[in-house]
Amino acid sequence: MSASEEAYLSLEEPPRSDHLWRYTPWKRVHPTGNPNEIPDGISTPEISLSMINGEEASDISLEMGNAISIPFEGSLVSNSFLSAITNGKAIRITIPENWRNETPLILDVKPTGGLDAVHIHVETGKFSEATILTRVQGSSEWLGILRTGHTGVGSFLQDVFVNKARDGNLMRVDALKLGRDSSVTAGTVSAGSAWTKADIRYLLDAPGSNLNVLGSLLSADQMHLDHHIEISHLAPNTYSRLAWHTACGGNSTSVGTGMLRIEKGARQADAGQLFHNLLLSEKAKANSIPELEVEENDVVGCGHGTANGPVDESQRFYLMARGLSGEEAEDALVAAFLNSTLSQMGNDDVHAWLIDAVEDALIGLNI
Amino acid sequence: MRESEVMAMEEAREAVGDYDLGWHDPEHSTIRFDSGLSEDVVRKISAIKNEPEWMTEIRVKAYHHFVNRPMPGFGDREALEGIKFDEVCYYLRSSDATEKDWDDVPDDIRNTFDRLGIPEAEQKWLSGVTAQYESEAVYHSIREDLEAQGVIFLDMDSGLREYPDLVKEYFCSVIPYQDNKFSALNTAVWSGGSFIYVPKGIKVEMPVQAYFRINAKNMGQFERTLIIADEGSSIHYVEGCTAPTYSTDSLHSAVVELIALDGAHIRYSTIQNWSANVYNLVTKRGIAHKDASIEWIDGNIGSKLTMKYPSVILKGEGSHAEVISIAYAGKGQHQDAGAKVHHLASNTTSKILSKSISKDGGRGSYRGMVTVSPKAENCKLNVVCDALILDDESQTDTYPTMEVANASARCEHEASVSKVSDDQVFYLMSRGHSEEEALAMIVNGFFEPFTRELPMEYAVELNKLMALEMEGSIG
Repeated sequence: MSASEEAYLSLEEPPRSDHLWRYTPWKRVHPTGNPNEIPDGISTPEISLSMINGEEASDISLEMGNAISIPFEGSLVSNSFLSAITNGKAIRITIPENWRNETPLILDVKPTGGLDAVHIHVETGKFSEATILTRVQGSSEWLGILRTGHTGVGSFLQDVFVNKARDGNLMRVDALKLGRDSSVTAGTVSAGSAWTKADIRYLLDAPGSNLNVLGSLLSADQMHLDHHIEISHLAPNTYSRLAWHTACGGNSTSVGTGMLRIEKGARQADAGQLFHNLLLSEKAKANSIPELEVEENDVVGCGHGTANGPVDESQRFYLMARGLSGEEAEDALVAAFLNSTLSQMGNDDVHAWLIDAVEDALIGLNI
Repeated sequence: MRESEVMAMEEAREAVGDYDLGWHDPEHSTIRFDSGLSEDVVRKISAIKNEPEWMTEIRVKAYHHFVNRPMPGFGDREALEGIKFDEVCYYLRSSDATEKDWDDVPDDIRNTFDRLGIPEAEQKWLSGVTAQYESEAVYHSIREDLEAQGVIFLDMDSGLREYPDLVKEYFCSVIPYQDNKFSALNTAVWSGGSFIYVPKGIKVEMPVQAYFRINAKNMGQFERTLIIADEGSSIHYVEGCTAPTYSTDSLHSAVVELIALDGAHIRYSTIQNWSANVYNLVTKRGIAHKDASIEWIDGNIGSKLTMKYPSVILKGEGSHAEVISIAYAGKGQHQDAGAKVHHLASNTTSKILSKSISKDGGRGSYRGMVTVSPKAENCKLNVVCDALILDDESQTDTYPTMEVANASARCEHEASVSKVSDDQVFYLMSRGHSEEEALAMIVNGFFEPFTRELPMEYAVELNKLMALEMEGSIG
């Protein structure tokens, strides 16, 4: 048994009183349903890197190597499990110092169809600028993705995760540590997978780091989307914002839990989180727990908010008065709601690519 | 006084700071149980009170549930584990009767309530008063005109004796003993509290008040309050709590059940100012029927650890809930307070406003939950939490949960944490106030949405209290 397997098996199953596991228990997320088991036969999905314009990414390569761990706080179970099933190995993407390329990189993840797992580690060099669009597509029974990373001093990273998987369960764990004066825009676009459990964490432990987290999610049919976003401010003069938009239709359930932590010493921290849920059908459910823990009094401000509601009747009426049918008006309003965060995830090229990427995934969904 | 006692007093004084209600009178008991809890203790409490069998049975069942139920998996678990249940006295009677005339209350107890200003308040602006000292109510009165209209305002023990059927119908109907560990404890050993019934259509214009005082060391106070507002009636109930300063801890674990029948209105105001050695673990919940409204006005100033989340179940169509709360967490204090509202019916509305201040290493936490059930159409709810941190030793947290299962619901939650603005302090100082006065004014302004909901006498007291708490904040 490997050290990472031993480490996982030594952990206790997390209780449901822990809000991270309240709506989606670990047993439900585990590929076999038995938390004491580390299943055999886990495959590595096909991973490829290209440019958004179709050209090869000649400067940047994918390298398989030993995983680099990023310190986590709180629940370790999902992180530890993914480390165990990926045998402590990671595909590493290194952005060299001062590297700048306005053409975004596309990282394609294509599962084999059974049980798949991969660990992807991203390092950005000092003062580099990069946009990485991770696209999950195809069919899988169960897919686990562990994404870790570290941004170099003064670097700029746009990282967008697009889930277009047709079915199956997705377990995603992110841990990104922001370097001094670095800036990260992190987007999540999701219109796939029957079950998604995502545990996304950011550590702002160097002064001057800047984070903007955006979500644009559509839950439909019988989907169950559970995203936990944890942002920890450890250093002075750090800034973070989160805007998370979820449109919930069909018989789906969406869960958005957030933890915004301002540790002692994070002076002049400025942080805010907003969760918006648009409820589109009678049977859809939306649950939000945006938590806040503040140990530092010298803050610029920190706050959170959440709002749930149906499509605005006056807006629908306005669009119908301009000639749209009721259905068209509602579609337009849902699209606008999701686009308000989608449009902030990158430049015009990225925006156009994201719209193309999700448009076909939306076809056939029952909202 | 022996040297060890002097040291203990000094230690206690240091722990609770300038708490000016922390004196204690010599213990005067007619019955005092040994410390510790067992089924025998539970049965003895029931026997002393000569209760009907159904109550004894429910107490015993609750006791076993309490023993088997683990501590809550949230909140300040370390502090909770520090409760020494075996060292608590579960029943102490200081007076053999509940008097209707102040002059008949035993001297030392009467002096205590005189110092707290209760008789004066009664004369001026109350419809009725219950004063509870340790485990039992020692004084109780109600205005004659209300009594003539059929308003029942009794201590809970008398309520059970005189109106057993009414009590049986509603007791544990809103908060079953299985609800949580501390509701089970209260159900097992409850003593005192208030029982109120307001008949159909009667509006009690002036508030009724209950005052709870723990005097003895290592005392547990477990009052049980049941308020039933019949159709179209209204009542405002006010409670206040204080305790002496000891170096060992006391436990207060109350259960309050409110039933607002169709069109009724209940407002329940609390100013909790326990000394900083009291664990305050309280379960409060109301159920609002059609077009009824329930309001919790909840002030948490004292105690070592408070875990209290006043709740409302909006069962009837068109019902309304409102929770306005403040919490002040000073040195050694953890105020884990919040609110819960469950929208079960259509066209129900709720509003939660929570404000907290953390100072001198205190920790203020808001923990709340709002739910909208699938069948509840057109519900509206709004939650606002604001927190001020006054120094670099203190902490504030917000843990809200929102579960919405109906697409027509409009739900909003917002929370903010900030420090006192330098600009505001500067402005007030430029108008001639000292920095300390400026801070006190800003804090009182911060709490103003709460104080304006209180009867004037309480609001004035609270403002004075907060000004005292702010003393020494500068420099």
